[in-house]
Amino acid sequence: MRNFLCSIFLLTGMTIAAFPQAAPRQPGELAWAIHYDPSTFDPVKVDDQVSDLVRYLTGGVLLRFNRQTQQVEPQLAESFQLSPQGTQISFKLRGGLTFSDGSPLTSADVAWTLRHVLAPATKAPIADEFLAPAGVSVETPDQWTVKVHLPKRVIGVEKIFDEIAIEPANHPSEGRVTAGPFTVSEYKRGQYLRLARNPHYWRRDGTGVQLPYATGIRLDIQNNREQEAALFLRGEYDVVDGPSPDYYGVIARKSPGAVHDMGASLNTEQLWFNQSAQAALPDYEKTWFQNRGFRVAISEAIHRADLTRIAYDGHATPAYDFISPANKLWHNDQLQYPKENVAEANRSLAASGFHRSGNQLFDAGGHAVKFSILTNAGNQARQKMSSLIQQDLANLGMQVTLVALDFPALVERLMHKQDYEACLLGLSNAEPDPSSMMNQWLSSSPDHPWNPSQKTPATPWEAEIDKLMQMQASTPMQAERKKALDRVQQIVADQQPFIYLVYPNCLQAISPSLHGAQPAILTPGSVWNIEFLRRDGGAR
Amino acid sequence: MKVRLPMLLMALLVLGASLTLTLSRYGYSFQDRDAIQAASSPLHWSGTDELGRDRTVRVAAALLIGLTGASLAGAITTLIAAAFGLLAAFSNRAIAALLIFVSDVFLSLPWLFLLMMARSLMPLTASPLETAVATFLVLALLGWPACARAVYSGALNLRNAEWMIQGHACGLRKRQLLRMHLLPHLRPLLLPQFLICLPAFLIAEANLGALGLGIGEPLPSWGAMLLEMDNSAMLMSSHWVYLPIILLVIVLLILESISTQVEPHA
Repeated sequence: MRNFLCSIFLLTGMTIAAFPQAAPRQPGELAWAIHYDPSTFDPVKVDDQVSDLVRYLTGGVLLRFNRQTQQVEPQLAESFQLSPQGTQISFKLRGGLTFSDGSPLTSADVAWTLRHVLAPATKAPIADEFLAPAGVSVETPDQWTVKVHLPKRVIGVEKIFDEIAIEPANHPSEGRVTAGPFTVSEYKRGQYLRLARNPHYWRRDGTGVQLPYATGIRLDIQNNREQEAALFLRGEYDVVDGPSPDYYGVIARKSPGAVHDMGASLNTEQLWFNQSAQAALPDYEKTWFQNRGFRVAISEAIHRADLTRIAYDGHATPAYDFISPANKLWHNDQLQYPKENVAEANRSLAASGFHRSGNQLFDAGGHAVKFSILTNAGNQARQKMSSLIQQDLANLGMQVTLVALDFPALVERLMHKQDYEACLLGLSNAEPDPSSMMNQWLSSSPDHPWNPSQKTPATPWEAEIDKLMQMQASTPMQAERKKALDRVQQIVADQQPFIYLVYPNCLQAISPSLHGAQPAILTPGSVWNIEFLRRDGGAR
Repeated sequence: MKVRLPMLLMALLVLGASLTLTLSRYGYSFQDRDAIQAASSPLHWSGTDELGRDRTVRVAAALLIGLTGASLAGAITTLIAAAFGLLAAFSNRAIAALLIFVSDVFLSLPWLFLLMMARSLMPLTASPLETAVATFLVLALLGWPACARAVYSGALNLRNAEWMIQGHACGLRKRQLLRMHLLPHLRPLLLPQFLICLPAFLIAEANLGALGLGIGEPLPSWGAMLLEMDNSAMLMSSHWVYLPIILLVIVLLILESISTQVEPHA
């Protein structure tokens, strides 16, 4: 028995945080925390947020999507031109470009990089954004010109080049030789990643000073948010990207000038029910979850203002739609959605054949309405939202159990076994264009959460969403695209396959001794203009 | 008696917790959404948690649930251990060796991971009460081997005692020997074993709960309340957040002092 106790103490003791320590900072170096090791430094293999950040900081790209103006700007390319049919894009490179090792950067390097990305053997996730990568060809008429021919128009094709880091032809170096502001210089797994300034970076500021200002960047691999906040307050870190509302509050109390609540982000938190016909659930439960009236009643019973106030300490915005109001170009201002109204929710349920007996709701077949909501363990805001929703749904007579699982177990149930009843999770939208959300809306997609990989759309409204999303992805006319997306938003609001809960606000903490920061809602948030960031006394 | 004071303290705690639950206007799961993380007030004596639930009521409920669950689990464990120990002590040598080997195997298993595995196999729709029953049942079913070894060694001494041999020689049947001689002599050994189990099971539930594998929300448990403390921002909000852990320590100290003062005198 004593051994048994000791083993339990030992395991829990391991989770107790050690006193926070950071590696010493070098002069002029910026530092902040990343929450896990990058899975790759190869810019074509990037498929997680941290690797994406490293690519952003190190990669030289032809075009950059400005995170603040949301416009595409030329970078290594001095100019670019898209043909009227949208099937050819030409780039004119700047003169005198070099890589960080001093070797010249020409159209041959660009062409090699693009072909490398497009080659099926590379398996670059970004290649799929060209829709038909096998049909794309690259041509270099001279040393400074690159022409890319597309088999068919790709809406927003310019933005794809924001994610393609140009590498030396035939010598990919996993970020050690780049044309971007920094290069990978030192990596200690589980400890830190150091980036060094690229002395040959092409860009200069308005006064002719070569960029970037910082001499380097140290990214500590630090998954403990409490330590991250403590190290930020001690001046060891320059930014905290997206602190949780709790730690935002801690930083705000000690350093009010450092925190920025930028309002609703593009991300959503939502609840959904398993509507898959293959799900290992009793038939009567599938009938509930496939019933529009049931889903609408649940949406009407949830007090979203309480979710934002209690679970997010006020740093979230109630959500009813998958397009956040921060996404001004695509948000549907005329959207009609089920308003919060418990009496109306009870009427919706009664109209769908449900009835109350005491405090318990029953369906027409006499089955008590009980189900579980899954969420991921360790996310305090989601766990609090689940508890609040549990009480809101108890008011309808539903018995809800809450289950917090670690992420791999959750993904296994959601994606592979479809062994769950309801799930509360969030979705990150890295960019505002709806084409980037195709994978969750197309009924045939394995990432279509409530009923994945359908051979044919299970419902007429899913068929209509499929059609509208395909249409908006293929037409160049903005007005038509907006009309299609407005309709998709209305169908989703009517059918409630996702019951949207909140848009977490975009929170940033930026050290007062860091200059040049212009925090943006789009990732990488506070460091998107990395070339212009510098610390007090850290100028070269 | 030495145990009188700790027993009295425990009785007072249980009475206080029962009165709190009976007299409070709030249920343990009621969310007062206008009083989130409220300070101590006449409405909420020790304030509220981050969902606006009355902390006094939740701590009182956790105390009663924890003690009831640990007592039942302790009783089951002691019964299993007594049956196992007696069977081994009064069987022939081969069976005794086999039984002892089984208990050794159980002792060498990685308990924590078994507990986590057993608890995570529960169906997702298990109600909070079912999770509470399952948690303590799993603890009871996995906690008996150490206790069984103690019972075995005690029963072995009894089997070879002269009065047992005399009782046997006088023609007493096995059932009579068990009822008249063995169980009364084993009682001073079983009672401390039972009492040792209580704090062990309480702390095991608290640790399982702190790992997110304990009793389901919204049923209050020490584990869930300790889990709330895994957040320094929360710890800074009010001193009352320490109430669950302080009370847990007090309860464990009382139980330890009761169990150490009930000396076996077999």
